[in-house]
Formats: sequence, C-alpha cells, structure tokens
Amino acid sequence: MSESPFPGLVKVNDFDFSFTPEEIQSSSLTRRPDGSFHLLYQNQSAIIRLLDTDSSGKKMSVEIEGDIFQVDIKEPLDLMIDKMGFGAGAQKAVKQVKAPMPGLILEIAVTEEQELEEGAKLLILVAMKMENSILLPVKAKIRKLHVKTGQAVEKGQLLVELY
Amino acid sequence: MKKILVANRGEIALRIMRTIRRMGIRTVAVYSEADRHSPHVVFADEAVCLGAAPSSQSYLNGDKIIAFCKELGVDGIHPGYGFLSENADFAQKVEAAGITFIGPGAEAMRIMGSKLAAKECVKQYNIPMVPGIDQAIEDIVLAKKIAAEVGYPILIKASAGGGGKGMRIVEKEADLEEQMHRAMSEALSAFGDGSVFIEKYVSSPRHVEIQVLADHHGNVVHLFERECSIQRRHQKVVEESPSAILTPEIRKRMGEAAVLVARSCQYTSTGTVEFLMDEKLNFYFLEMNTRLQVEHPVTEMITGIDLVEQQIRIARGEKLSFTQEDLQINGHALELRVYAEDPLNNFLPSIGTLSRYEKPAGAGVRVDDGYEQGMTIPIYYDPMIAKLAVHGKDRTEALQKMREAIAAYTIEGVATTLPFGRFVFDHDAFISGHFDTHFVKNYYTPEKIKEKQKANAALAAVMAIRYWQQRQQQLQPVENRSTSWKRRLSS
Repeated sequence: MSESPFPGLVKVNDFDFSFTPEEIQSSSLTRRPDGSFHLLYQNQSAIIRLLDTDSSGKKMSVEIEGDIFQVDIKEPLDLMIDKMGFGAGAQKAVKQVKAPMPGLILEIAVTEEQELEEGAKLLILVAMKMENSILLPVKAKIRKLHVKTGQAVEKGQLLVELY
Repeated sequence: MKKILVANRGEIALRIMRTIRRMGIRTVAVYSEADRHSPHVVFADEAVCLGAAPSSQSYLNGDKIIAFCKELGVDGIHPGYGFLSENADFAQKVEAAGITFIGPGAEAMRIMGSKLAAKECVKQYNIPMVPGIDQAIEDIVLAKKIAAEVGYPILIKASAGGGGKGMRIVEKEADLEEQMHRAMSEALSAFGDGSVFIEKYVSSPRHVEIQVLADHHGNVVHLFERECSIQRRHQKVVEESPSAILTPEIRKRMGEAAVLVARSCQYTSTGTVEFLMDEKLNFYFLEMNTRLQVEHPVTEMITGIDLVEQQIRIARGEKLSFTQEDLQINGHALELRVYAEDPLNNFLPSIGTLSRYEKPAGAGVRVDDGYEQGMTIPIYYDPMIAKLAVHGKDRTEALQKMREAIAAYTIEGVATTLPFGRFVFDHDAFISGHFDTHFVKNYYTPEKIKEKQKANAALAAVMAIRYWQQRQQQLQPVENRSTSWKRRLSS
C-alpha cells in the first residue's frame, strides 16, 4: 500500500486546523449501515454525515449534531497558491458597499458626489422590523447610489459605489 | 361551524388548520404575495390572496379578510397570534359581520390591552401586584414621592407598552426626571400613548405565566404554568412546563389568582396571565395576553389538551368538558423557538434560503413549522422558523430529548437559534433551575457557541482527512491505468 498523502492545513468554516500524522492515525473511522460515519478521536465519539464532496475530493460538506461544516483540505501546493491569491486581494481598496442582509431601504442619508468620513451613516436597512444603519467603512466620496428608498434588497446586493 | 378562516401565516396558521381539519371543519388560508409557496397555503382547502407582502397591505387588512369571509361563506375566524389577534376593533367588526371570532370578547381584549386598565380591573380581587402606582403619572414631584415609598430601583413602564419599549430602570432619585421624560416620549412614538406608571423593579425576576381556559357558561380553569425566563431582547426563546421551582402550593395560589384575573373581565377562550416572580417566589400580576401564545405546545404536551380545539369548542358555545380537578400535569415539556437569527452576531435577523432543512421526529418530539427545504424566509415578518417542543416523563428526560432533537435538526442557508438552544440546555444554571430573565446577560457569550463549534469542526477535519486519504488510496491504481492508456493513445 502506498504512503497516505497528508495535508498541510484543513480549513473548516472559519477555523484552521493542522494535525500530525500520528494524531490522524490515532483516530478511528467506520462506516455505519445507514451510510453515515462514526469517528473516535481522542476518545470523543461523533456521528458524522457526509453531505457533499467535490470532484477533487478535498472539499466536503459534513454534518455533526445538526451543524454543517464546509471542509477544505489544503495540500502544501494549495496553500502556496492561496497565499499568492490573497496577496493580490489584500491591496484592493473598498470601492463598493453591499447589503449585509436582505431588507428594505428605509432611508438614504447621503447623495452622490458627497465626500464623507469613515463611519458616516449611508442608509438605514430594515429587516424584520429592526432598523440597521449601514455605515461607510472608509473615508470616501460617493460615486453612485444603486438603491432607492423603499426598495427591497438581497444580501450582497450593491448599495453604494465609491470613488 | 363548517368553515374557518385562519387570519395568519406560516407555522401557526398550519398548526391551527391541522386541528380545524381534525374536527371535520373546512379550512381557508389567507396569504400575501410573498407567501404563495407557504405550506399553510398548500394545506388549506381554500386560499385567498390578501395583497402585497408588507403586513399592512395583507395580514393586517381586517376589512379585506372579513369581505373574503362573506364571499366564501366562512363562519369563523381564528386570528392566531400577532397580526390581528389582539385587535379589539377587528374582533368587534368580525362579530358585527355575523362571523364568530375564535378568541375572547372585544371588551376583555380592550381592558387587558391596557396595563393600567387591567390593574384597575383586577384591583378588587386581591391579586398580588408589584408595589407602585396603578395610574398614569406625569407629575415629577409625585413620581419622586412614590418612588421613595416603593424604594429604588424602580421601573418606569408604558401603559400601552410591550417588547421593552417605553421601559426604564431608575437606580436613584437624581435620574428619575430625565428617565421619565425619555420613557414618555418613547411610549408616545411607539404606541401613540405617552402615559407611564411606576413600579418597584424586581432585580432577579422570573417570568412565570398561567394558561387559562374560560367558556361562555362561567367555567374558568387553569392549565398550570409555563416558565419563560430565558429571553433575549425581552422576547422569549425557551419555555417549559412545569416550572423547575414552583411548589404545588404556589402553583395552586397562582392558578387561582389567574382564574380570578380571567373572571374580572368576563374572559372567554384561551388566555395567559403573566406573573413576575422574585427570588423568594413571591409572584406579582403583570398582564394578561388575550390570545393563543407561541409557547402553548408545552401546556398541550403536559395536559394532553389541544388548546386550539378548546378555543373552537368554546367559540361554538360548548361547555368545558373537564373541571379543574380533572387536570393533571403529566411529565415535563420544553420548547425552543427556532428563529432565523444569528446567536453569534447579537441575534440579528439572518435571512436567506433554506438550502437544507431536515427536522427531528420521534416519540415526544413536536415541530410546528411553516417552511420547507428550498424556501426563502421573507424579510417582512417575524423571523421564527419553527417551534421545537419535546415531552419527557420528567425534566431530565425532556432535557436529553431536546438535546437530541436539536442535534437532529439540520438547517443550512440561515443562522438560527438552535446553537443557542444547545447552549441553554447544556448550561448548569438552566439544568439546576436557578436562572432568571437575565440568563442571557449573565451567562451567554457567542464565544461559548464558538467553542462548541470549534470542537465539532476539529472532528469534521479529522473525519475529512481520513476519508480523503482512503479515497486517494482507492483511486491511485485507477489513475495509473488511465495515464498509461492515455500514453498509448498519444503514441
């Protein structure tokens, strides 16, 4: 039997884990008749369902106790590529303000071409009867307003474009 | 009654219609344009669209609902909770149109809808009340005098209040004047009524309420208590019955007090009398809710009585078929409200599409919900997805059943209060029964949920590595073959 491949890092939702080969070897994984898995790791017992996996086999969606986890296994090469990608992204300035949640635009507090300080109130978004102020994340000038008062917006929808 | 319209949406509309159908009565659903796909619309025998998504143009349009009732030959309206359920004018219009309103009379709703009127009404019955003044107060000098009498800290409350609005805790006399003004202006803008009153502030209060049932023949019974102290933003999230701390003697006294409150306003149908309880188990009348409550399943589970069925029977003019002596507490029930809210982000609404929705089932597990996998939670209404309720032979068994039910409840696409529920049912304060309405403030931090998630995430990581390694080993020979095959092709 060939040597098992071993990942440099495992990302699970917002968490990063790295294990030693011994730690992984110490665990015990079995398949149950209903297709789910039973894991013993450091004497902890868990029933895990594999919900989805991608073609590379490195991305999986699994469920434990009702919580769903997106697992991303990173081999050393994946990590290097990620690093390069992140390096380019981090330089980007904030040019857009997007809706953090779906809701209705109750009020718009700014106009186009207005210059504002960081933290200035842009608009009020109402979701489930709760009013949320959307603030400007950086000092900027407003290029374009993409929404109107009374409009319903989806999560991630572009609200305001900045210079 | 042959046909009942349920003037509500989502899980409660569905829950009410199930009972109506079981009683051999036809059901009519109403819906807004945002709810066309809702299970309550699919379930009903008939359904009518009320209008656009905002409640004001749909579920709150009482006149339109009454007009539809006449058109469809409906003889009863069940309002559910929220929306029009505590609107006395609507109840009156329904009755005037010759349709039965399945709920209390308009007059009782009016009295209990005002906290001051309610206090005035129950005055003669010797119901324990929080020390304070039972009339609207504007005069600062008088307010200071009363506050000094009952002793600080005191609580300023709006007469028309609810949901914590117009409420102010005042620790010392120097702050009284300003807080009075702020409470009055907040009450005026929130309820159109700026009247406030003063009560002694109970510093470690528990919220214990009594379910009552009253028919049109003068029979009033209580169906014991519900403990609802686990709240966030002054709104309940976890409820149970019976309470972990009530003695049979206190339960009896509270039940009798609740029955008197119901009698004081000639109440009919189901109602809930809310009490505040201090550390020494003294209880004080807070208010009466003139409707079915969200947490009614825990009472149904321990008494075996379907409260919606009782509401319909009472509305038909039937006598209660049981007496107080017939009622007994059987086991223990817990309820968790599953809201589309993010417990890791200050319980802010988390709206989106239920890309995965799998609910628990089994003996003693009840899920009242109004969504299915693939549905989107609309932004216009209350963010409750479901009520998860369990019943066990005692509190320990019910707690364990609840933990398992939460683990079997898988929701993907929106954040929910399920992880918060797990935190509560695993917490020593809740398990021991020693908690009050400050539970969230005193014990809860998002980090606690994060810790649990991280522990499970680590298990997910280990499982994923093992599974991946296994697959790699299985795949290797296949890959080798395919490579050589490719090589042959290209040569």
